[in-house]
Amino acid sequence: MNSVQSLIQPQVLAQIGFAGIVALTLTGALIAVFPRNILYNILGLIVCLTGVAGIFVYLGSPFIALMELLIYVGAICISIIFAIMLSRPLHLSLPKRALPKVGLALGVGAAVFIMLSAIISRTEWQPAAMRSSDWSIATLGAYLLTRYNLVFEVISLVLLVAILGAIIIAGYARRSPS
Amino acid sequence: MTSSWFQDPTLLAAMLGALLPFVSFVLIMVFTRPYPKLSATISVAAVSVSVICALFLLGRHWHLEHPIQYTTKWLVSGELYVPFGFMLDQLSLLMLTIVAVISFLVQVYSLGYMAGDPGFSRYYAFQSLFAWAMMTMSIAPTMLQFYIFWELVGLASYLLIGFYYEKFSASEAGKKAFVMTRVGDIAFFLGILLVLLNFGNLNILDMNSVDVTARMSPALITLCAILIFGGVAGKSAQFPLLTWLPDAMEGPTPVSALLHSATMVAAGVYMFARIFPFFSKSATAMTLFLAIGMITMLLASTMAMVTRDIKQVWAYSTISQLGFMVMGLAAGSYFAGVFHLTTHAGFKALLFLCSGVFIHAYETNDMYEIGRQGGRGLKIPMVCMTLGAAALSGLPPFSGFFSKEAIMGGLAGLHNPIWLWGGLLGAFLTAYYSFRLIFLILFPSKIKEPHHGEHGGHGHGDDHHHAGLYWVMAWPLIILATVTLVLGLFQTPLENFLVGHYGGAEGHGGGHHAWLLYVAVGLALSGVGLAWLEFGRKGASQVGFVERMEPVKTLFAERWYIDHFYRLFLDYVIYGIFSNLFTRNDRQVIDGGIDGICRATVGGGRMLSFLQSGMLQYNLMVMFAVLALVALYFFF
Amino acid sequence: MNSLTTYLFLAALLFSLGIFGVFQRRSLIGMLIAIELMLNGASINFMAFNRFLAPDPIVGQIYTLFIMGIAAAEAAIALSIIVAVFRRLGSINIERAQELRG
Repeated sequence: MNSVQSLIQPQVLAQIGFAGIVALTLTGALIAVFPRNILYNILGLIVCLTGVAGIFVYLGSPFIALMELLIYVGAICISIIFAIMLSRPLHLSLPKRALPKVGLALGVGAAVFIMLSAIISRTEWQPAAMRSSDWSIATLGAYLLTRYNLVFEVISLVLLVAILGAIIIAGYARRSPS
Repeated sequence: MTSSWFQDPTLLAAMLGALLPFVSFVLIMVFTRPYPKLSATISVAAVSVSVICALFLLGRHWHLEHPIQYTTKWLVSGELYVPFGFMLDQLSLLMLTIVAVISFLVQVYSLGYMAGDPGFSRYYAFQSLFAWAMMTMSIAPTMLQFYIFWELVGLASYLLIGFYYEKFSASEAGKKAFVMTRVGDIAFFLGILLVLLNFGNLNILDMNSVDVTARMSPALITLCAILIFGGVAGKSAQFPLLTWLPDAMEGPTPVSALLHSATMVAAGVYMFARIFPFFSKSATAMTLFLAIGMITMLLASTMAMVTRDIKQVWAYSTISQLGFMVMGLAAGSYFAGVFHLTTHAGFKALLFLCSGVFIHAYETNDMYEIGRQGGRGLKIPMVCMTLGAAALSGLPPFSGFFSKEAIMGGLAGLHNPIWLWGGLLGAFLTAYYSFRLIFLILFPSKIKEPHHGEHGGHGHGDDHHHAGLYWVMAWPLIILATVTLVLGLFQTPLENFLVGHYGGAEGHGGGHHAWLLYVAVGLALSGVGLAWLEFGRKGASQVGFVERMEPVKTLFAERWYIDHFYRLFLDYVIYGIFSNLFTRNDRQVIDGGIDGICRATVGGGRMLSFLQSGMLQYNLMVMFAVLALVALYFFF
Repeated sequence: MNSLTTYLFLAALLFSLGIFGVFQRRSLIGMLIAIELMLNGASINFMAFNRFLAPDPIVGQIYTLFIMGIAAAEAAIALSIIVAVFRRLGSINIERAQELRG
């Protein structure tokens, strides 16, 4: 019993959950990158993003995790799926994989990863001297409407412009004769 | 100084006087070109202020002890130091006054002469430009500033000669004047540079001081003097470069009066006087200048004897009088040269303005034609022109007599009598050709009667439309004639004023050579007499003794073939040898080199364009790989 | 799970996978998906620094929110460009889109 008790201690459970979520994220990322069928990629991306949302929970911000699910999974992935559906790239033959290219990409990706991990491990990370412990959504909301008010507004403007631009670009292509 | 510049009336007057014409030039060019009346008003108003300022300065500093300088540092480079500003001494005050007064009179006269011309505004803009450049040049404290405004004066002259630019000969004449004076100016500039290199300073007062001999060797001074004299030769149409001035008469007559007789061409002589002490340190150079002056004077006089164009006569006489001034200065009599410059400015402007009235009235430049059409009917210009010609010939009691006597006195002081005889011969010829013109107009062999009345009236006010214009033109004539009459009487005060400073340079008064006075006047009178015999008396043949000798006449009329020589020189030496050489160099070395570079660039571009495959991903890949490697390199 | 470097390595891994995907995929949509991966790596970085180092733990969250906003805009634009490219070239293969080839 004791051993089972210790097995289901919250600490251990959290560890196991974290490992599972990391695994989910990485698996999703791999699926998003490797298969040639674009729908698999999208599904992999969804899995990966769900994992990232879980990581955000572990990082202490359930609100951001929810937003992640809402915006990425709910909006971006769905719109990509719509784009695929509407423009029928599925009917096109799947592009062949060119090995040299994959090799090169792997090399560069590995180089970037080595660089990043080298920097991460070499750096002495120092926490700030005074750390506030206020994580609440209420403060976040207050910040968004006071200190980051302008950025917030600009972001909404950017989104508006982006949507209009997207409509124009896509619509212009339809009208243009070529 | 900066805080109180407007409290110092001298500086204020100098700045106002010198700068207002420039303001007027800009105003006219930028704003008021479509409104001729307004433009003329602005220009005349500006130049009147200049006249007032100049007269004020002259009166205020009549007993000037030391030259006044207002300068600000403009160019400082190591030991070299070139200020910019104003320098007022006797000479520059006198020149400033001459320029301002004559500019003013000519601008007033032009109100009549240029009336109705489509380029009226442009004309006044250029006049203002000229007035600004010339006045600032007169009061320049350094040779560099002097040179800059010297060139600006040249530019204004070019613009005004080519004023009727739609006329081919006018634009050609403008070009010729510009290029020929440029030849001299290059020498001038080289001379300045030499002085700057060896003396380290271009301040005119310093150049005139005794320091120069300490810091430059005599040979160097001679070289510099001769080079700088190149500028004088170009601007004042001295011997090798004299042919541009007659052609410059293509401009409107008031322009000829202002630039090409009274002020601009006198700038060369003014420069000579300006650095007279510098020049006089080199005896060799002075002798050379003396020779150049005499050759110029005699050549121009002979040319004047055969031409039929009324303006050409005065143009040649201007050249010869300028030569005469150079002779006077080179003979060492500073005052005589400057005095002749002053009187000449007065009577030559008068002569040109008078002939302008004739040309305006009869629309011809031919003096025979003017006489035949009844030129003597125009009373005021006729009288004024006779006065001017008398002054030019050096007849007493007109101003030319006094200044010529002063120069003759200077020439007589030299050891070699040839200079004096040359001067006297020049005086004789001058009297002959001036009165040839006067008699031709006054006593034409046959008068076209019907035209006489018509044209006489044309000028005289029967035609009310022209009456006002006629008087606008006549007033400057009367003023100038008065000046011509009385200026000679001011010889002594002027001499005190001018020579007070350079006292040492003056050794020759007219009084030492009483016989000379009679000889000179006698020669002038005999010149007039000869002219009377051939052109004036009843039944005279109206053919000069020179014109009877065909080859000589052709020689004179063709300006001693100087232009032809230049043409040949250009054709054979410049075009034949240098141009060919440079063309070959251009084609093969420079063009070839450029072509080679082009081909190399194109080839290189072709090679490099293989990299530009349009493959986005490879480009990105290279970017990130480089980023990773660089980061790794820098961190570890 | 409670050390900063774990999260940073995870983020770096996601980012590198994203880069690999961008380089290796031929389809534009695949590249877009890979770019989303890269953006998520960056978000995780922000959140991790926010959790372990930052003096004010709200700021990182706000940044992450902004990144999401930008990502949404980017996705919209990218998709419309992809649609336009598809209409023009009849393909979403990036290797066909090489009209700028020298």
